[in-house]
Order: sequence, then structure tokens, then C-alpha cells
Amino acid sequence: MTPVIALEKLTKSYGRSRGIIDVDLEVQQGEVFGFLGPNGAGKTTTIRTTLDLIRPTSGRATVFGIGSTADPVAIHKRVGYIPGEFTLYDRLTGKQTLEYFANLRGGVDPVYQASLIERFELETGKRFKEYSKGNKQKVGVIAALQHKPELLVLDEPTSGLDPLVQQTFFNTLRECVTDGATVFLSSHILSEVEKSCNRVAIIRDGQIAKLDTVEGLRDLAHHQVELRFAGPVPSDAFAHLPGVSDVVAEDHVLRMRVAGTITPVVRAAAQYELLDFVSREPSLEETFLAQYGREAVEAGSDGR
Amino acid sequence: MAASAGAPRHPAATFPPIPLYKRVYGLGSIYGKTIRDSRLSFIIAAGMFGGLALVLGAAIGTVFPTPEVRKELGTLVGSMPAAMVNMFGNVTLMGDKLGTLGGYVTWKYGSLFSLGTALWSILALSGTLAGESAKGSLDIVATSPFGKRRIAIEKIAAHLTAVWAALVVLAVMQTLSAYAFGDASLGDRIPLESSLAYAISIGFTAMFFGGLTLVLAPYLGRGGSAGIASLAMLLTWLVSGLDVGGPLRHLSPFYWTYDNIPLVGIYDWGPVLAVGIVGVVLIGIGVELFGRRDLGVTTGLSLPSLPDGVLGVRGPVSRAFGDQLPRALAWGLGLAFWGAMLASLVGSFSDTIGKDPGLSDAFGRIFPGFDFATPGAWLQLYLELFLIVAGFAAATFVSKWASDENDGRLEVVLSTPLSRAMWVVAGGVGALLAVVVATALWVVGILVGSAAGGAAAGDALLGSASFGLVAAAFVGVGVAVGGLWRTSLAAEITAVIVIVTYLIDLLSAPLNLPDWFHQLALTAHMGQPMLGTWDPVGIVACLAIAFGGIGLGAWGMTRRDVAR
Repeated sequence: MTPVIALEKLTKSYGRSRGIIDVDLEVQQGEVFGFLGPNGAGKTTTIRTTLDLIRPTSGRATVFGIGSTADPVAIHKRVGYIPGEFTLYDRLTGKQTLEYFANLRGGVDPVYQASLIERFELETGKRFKEYSKGNKQKVGVIAALQHKPELLVLDEPTSGLDPLVQQTFFNTLRECVTDGATVFLSSHILSEVEKSCNRVAIIRDGQIAKLDTVEGLRDLAHHQVELRFAGPVPSDAFAHLPGVSDVVAEDHVLRMRVAGTITPVVRAAAQYELLDFVSREPSLEETFLAQYGREAVEAGSDGR
Repeated sequence: MAASAGAPRHPAATFPPIPLYKRVYGLGSIYGKTIRDSRLSFIIAAGMFGGLALVLGAAIGTVFPTPEVRKELGTLVGSMPAAMVNMFGNVTLMGDKLGTLGGYVTWKYGSLFSLGTALWSILALSGTLAGESAKGSLDIVATSPFGKRRIAIEKIAAHLTAVWAALVVLAVMQTLSAYAFGDASLGDRIPLESSLAYAISIGFTAMFFGGLTLVLAPYLGRGGSAGIASLAMLLTWLVSGLDVGGPLRHLSPFYWTYDNIPLVGIYDWGPVLAVGIVGVVLIGIGVELFGRRDLGVTTGLSLPSLPDGVLGVRGPVSRAFGDQLPRALAWGLGLAFWGAMLASLVGSFSDTIGKDPGLSDAFGRIFPGFDFATPGAWLQLYLELFLIVAGFAAATFVSKWASDENDGRLEVVLSTPLSRAMWVVAGGVGALLAVVVATALWVVGILVGSAAGGAAAGDALLGSASFGLVAAAFVGVGVAVGGLWRTSLAAEITAVIVIVTYLIDLLSAPLNLPDWFHQLALTAHMGQPMLGTWDPVGIVACLAIAFGGIGLGAWGMTRRDVAR
């Protein structure tokens, strides 16, 4: 089956500045695909190149099997897009703005549009310039959803939304997916990415560093292990075990990070009088931080 | 140990000092940043001031080369209706000095320098605080370790630095021009102190209206304060010039300084200083109001908004036009006002000339090819001045079109089935429709003014369309630049081309430049449409540039990245 999005060695350079380099990924029909990366990693460049807002230096992006530069209008007809940063027409009210974007798409189902307005509790009579940041974002969200697109490309879609509206947004997103939509989601709300996405790609310095299922990525990260002993325990007994790092001793408690299997740690701990053993499964957020933080897992792109 | 509340996080930290040059120009202070932001407006203003001073000096030597012609000029001006003469200076007080370079510049262009500089201050000072407040960027500045008053003072000081620097350029170039092109035996020399006194008078007037804007801005916001202050400027100028009497003229700084004509050595420092003092007081009040009032909160009194029906949400062309409409109406109403005023005067003026064959003959020699016994000839003269206005109007329409991309809207718009080329075409057509609106209102102004002044507008009504043709051509230039290269500079480049083409047209004759060079100016190909004489080359060129430019822009847009 043709993937909804297929990027093949997609590269965009801005003269001397790095953009993205050889980005390869595929997003399948009905999938919610998370796209993570720190600021400046290349997330927005990837999205803008995919939607033909900027042209690739080399490589190729296809959406619905259509080359992004070949017929962008055909792609846009089937896409709903929320940019990371945007503004709309200051003088138009929310209602007029939504009407205009509906008109550009040849009309939308007014009942569905009204249901979105109601669900997001948007006061449509105000002019765009009078809206708060969150309400401006709501207008963008509804404009992207109201025509029931087959593909939603969302760049930080919940920016400025309060937690309740964020929840509404992700509920709506799940409904869209149930209806058959595909979602490409760039977000920093990792807990939501974790809950919503099937697969996640992590981009770093313009290159895909990891691409896997949420579970798969989680397994890549370190476990945080805490051992509580009856008496003092030499930290050296653990520091040199395979996969162990950052061993910290505090009274009778040892804390450490463990990459991969924790069997060596369990075996070593069993040689002492152990009162408690806590091993916490890493969240996606910790995976993300591990990927970019001081204790980054092996740099490179072996997970591609 | 717990840190005590409010303890500094870096009690002993020392930071490298900010270099002085960055505080003066750059990112070292609010003042330096504002100066840096003002550089383009300074360059344009200084270029215009200096260029015009040079051009006028060169022109007067060519057009009025002998004492006899200078005398005829005096006779001519003396024969004009008092209302028209007084609009531009105190001719009675000037006497014979009207025939000098300083006298002629004061009479014919003095008001334009004053009004132009004041308008610059109005626009800048309405934007620097109120505009930034509305955008929200001032919130961040206001949370830096400076009081609001200091922020206001630094920003205002930076604007005034730019204004005064441009006026110094004007003064120096005025004196240089007088020495380079003027005839000492005819009294054309203008000492530097006279030029500086002239600049001071202009600067104080700008401070007066800039200060008024600052006082209004905390209540009315950017648009409201700029609109009211601009209206006040025009009204006080007209009330003074038309000598309609009444108490209102006593509020006019133009009336106060009516007897101050420094370019011919006539000084009246008291009123000039009074204008300056009032300007400083108004600025002080504006700073205090800015310091006391809530940031970005206005009274809600702003310019009336347009009805929903004309805002345009049906499609890209109607949206582009709806976006341009407020700007088109602002230009159109201003042009209609000016057109009506001028057209109401030219009837009596042409009558006066028509009744005096000697005067008519004198004028005919000064401006060959014009029959000044007809209102159309006078309107043609004014049209030539207004063609630069047409160019600037076009630049602002280009700017509005470009804001889709510069403000970050285009990203959303182009994610719909609207193609890039169609966006450019729709935007270009919207801008052209804006030109049509502005031109139509100007034509209405000419019609109303002519009727009020008892003159038959005749050919001038159709001729007024040439304003629209020139504006349309500059829209084409701007859209081409925006589509092919970048929209962020499209309006500025259009404005520069407008100035350059205008200077080419203006300079070529007095500087005896080759004809081919003169022909580079679009405005050199417009014929005399107010007299019914059209140049087909100009019409074709304007239309070709307008539509060709939009086509070129559409093509270019399909080939480049969309900016964020």
C-alpha cells in the first residue's frame, strides 16, 4: 500500500546553515506518527518541505503518492495543516476566518464546522487580533480540521492551548483517526505523543536519529534503578557492571542508570542484604531527554 | 541553606560593559536599537531632502535664469488668488525676495518639507509605542529593568535623532545647492545659518505634531492617534493658509510661524521657539501618559471598521481586495481632499491668467507647452507632483500584499488548494483594485473641487486616471520583486524605484542630462493627460509593467521557497 507520506533522502540546505539531511521516513494510512526533536533540529523544515512550502535541495517527498513539488495543490486539497507559528487576518472575525478557509476549499460541512466551534468553545464574533494566543490557536486548529482532511500535518498544534483544550484536541484527533485520517504530529507534549502515536521519529541536527514504535523507543532508554540496602554497600561493586552508569551512593541507597538488561545489577544486589529494589520504566520524555541530554544513548542513527 | 526571598542570584557577578557604539547604534540599548530600526526611514528622508534641495537649486537656475524672469515670477505669484498664495508662505513679507532661490523654495516647497517631516513623526511616534504595545513586543521590553518612562524617552529620542539628522542633511544640501547652482547677483546664496534656521522650524513643527500623536496614542492606539494627528496637521495648515479667520487658526503652528522665512533671511524666532516648546511639552505629556496608563490598553476609540460585506471572504481575490480596502480608502479620501482643494483653486487662477495676456505669455515661456488660461494646465502641473504620490500609494499596496508572507499567514493560505501563482495573481489583482478605488476617489475630488471653483474639469477627469496607471505599474514592479525574490523588501524596493524614477524625471532637464536617460522615467511618458494629451507609449508601458509584473511575480513565486 502506498504510504501517505514518504520521504526519501530528503535534504534541504539554507546556504551555509544546515536544514535537514537525508531524511527517510514513511507514514502509513491511519497512523499517528510522532515527530520529536529539540528546537532547531529540523522538524519544521521537514514539514514545510513535505508540503512544498520550501523546495528540497535533493531527495524527494511524496504525499498520497504525489511528488510534493509535482502537484502541491492536489496534496493540499487532502491536507489540514497547523503551522508552528502563524497569524491570520487581523480584521476578520473568527467566523469570517473559518468561512474564508472553508471557501478556499470549496466549502465544508457546516454542521461539522459548528460542532468543532462548539467543542473548542471558540467565540467566533471577535476579530482575530482581539483573540488571546490560545484562541488564535483554536482558530488555526478548526481551520485545519473543518474540511475533514485525509492527512493532518500538525506542528506544535497545542501551543498556547490550556490543558482542558489540549485534551479536547487530542480526543478530536483520535476521532479523526478513527474516521480514517492519518496524522503527522510534531509536538513537545511528550505524554500526549506517547498516548496518541503509533510510531515516533526523533530528529537531531537535521537527521533522523531514531525511528521506532513508542514502546521500542522506550526500551532504548536507561532504566532508573534505586537499591536500598540494610547496610553500607560499595558503589564500585556496581559502577563497573555492563550498562551501568551514574552510580550515586547516599547513606544505604544506591541510584544508577542501567542501559539494556538489568540482570547484572540484580545479581550483584543479591550479594547484599537488599531492603528495596525500584526500577522505573522510562517515559518517552526520558527517552527523548536521554537522546539529547548529557547521558545520550549512543549517538548516531542506528535506529533509523 | 535556603536563599532569602529576593536575594540576587549573581551578587558578585560582573559582566563585560556594553560598548558605547552599540548603545548609540545597535543592540546595546533601547535607543540604539530604535536608531537601528530607523535607518531605512532616515536614509529615505535624508535622500529625499538632500536630493530635492539639490534638484530645486539646479532647477531654479534653469527655469528662472534672468532677473526679468524672476520679476515675472513675482508678478505672477502676486496675481494669484490670495488663498492659493498664502497656502505656501508669506509672499507679501518676502516681497522681491520671492524671486530668489530661498524665496522660491520656501513658497513652492516649504510646506511640503514641513508637512512631510511632521507626517514622518506622526507615523513613527504612533508606531513606536502604541503600535508595539498592540503587537505585544513592548511587553517584553517593558519587563526589562527600565521604567516605562525611560523606554518612551529612549524611543522618542531615537526618532528625534533621525529627524534632526535628516534635517541637518537638508540644511547642508540646501546651502550647497544654493552655492553650486544659485546666482549670487540675484540673491540666491543661502548661508548655512539660514538653512539651519529653516531646518529648526521644520523640526519643531514635526515635534509639535509628533507630540500630539504621543498624547493621543495611549487612548486611541496607533491608527486612531495617527489619523487624528494627521487630520489636525492638515486642518491647521489649511486654516492658516486659507486665512479663513476664526479662533482655530490661533491653534495652528503654521499660523504662528507664518512670518518666519529663514531662507530669505527673515527670522521670527519667538513663535518658532513657542512651537518647539509646545512640542516638547506635548512629548512630555505623552511620556507621562505612557508611564501611567496600562500598556496596550486603549479606550477602544479607533477608526470605524468596514462592514462585513466588503471584507472579502469569498475567495482569494475578494480577500486580497478586502485586505487592501481600508488602505485604498485612506489614500483615496486623502487624495480626494487634495484634489478637491486644488481643483477648486485652479478655476479662479486660470481666469486670472486668461484675462492678462502678458502674464499668460510669461508663464508660457517658463513652462512651454502649457496653456495656463485653462484649469487643465494647472491640474497637469499638480498631477506631475502627484505621480510620486501614486508610486508611494502603490508601494503601500504592495506592502499589504506582502504582509501575507511576512506576517506568517501565507503558510496557512498555501496549505489550502490555492496555488502559489494564484496567490500572487489574486494579490496583484487585489492591489490593482485598490488602485482603482484610490484613483476613483481622487477623480471624485477633482470633479467636486472643479464644480465648487466654477471650472469645467473636462479632460482632467479622464486624465486623472493616469494617476492610476502609474500606480498600477508600480504595483506590478512590487509584485514582481516580491514574487521573484522576496516580499519582505518588495515595498521598500518599489519606493526606492519610485523616488529614483521621479528624480530622473525631475533632474534630467535642469541638469541637461541626455534624453535617453530622461526616457528611463516612467513618468516621462505620460503626456499631458489633464489636458487631454495622452502618450500611448506610457499607457502601454504602464499596463505592460502592471500585468507583466504580476505575471512575473506569479512565475517567480512558483520557483522559490515560502519565507516564514
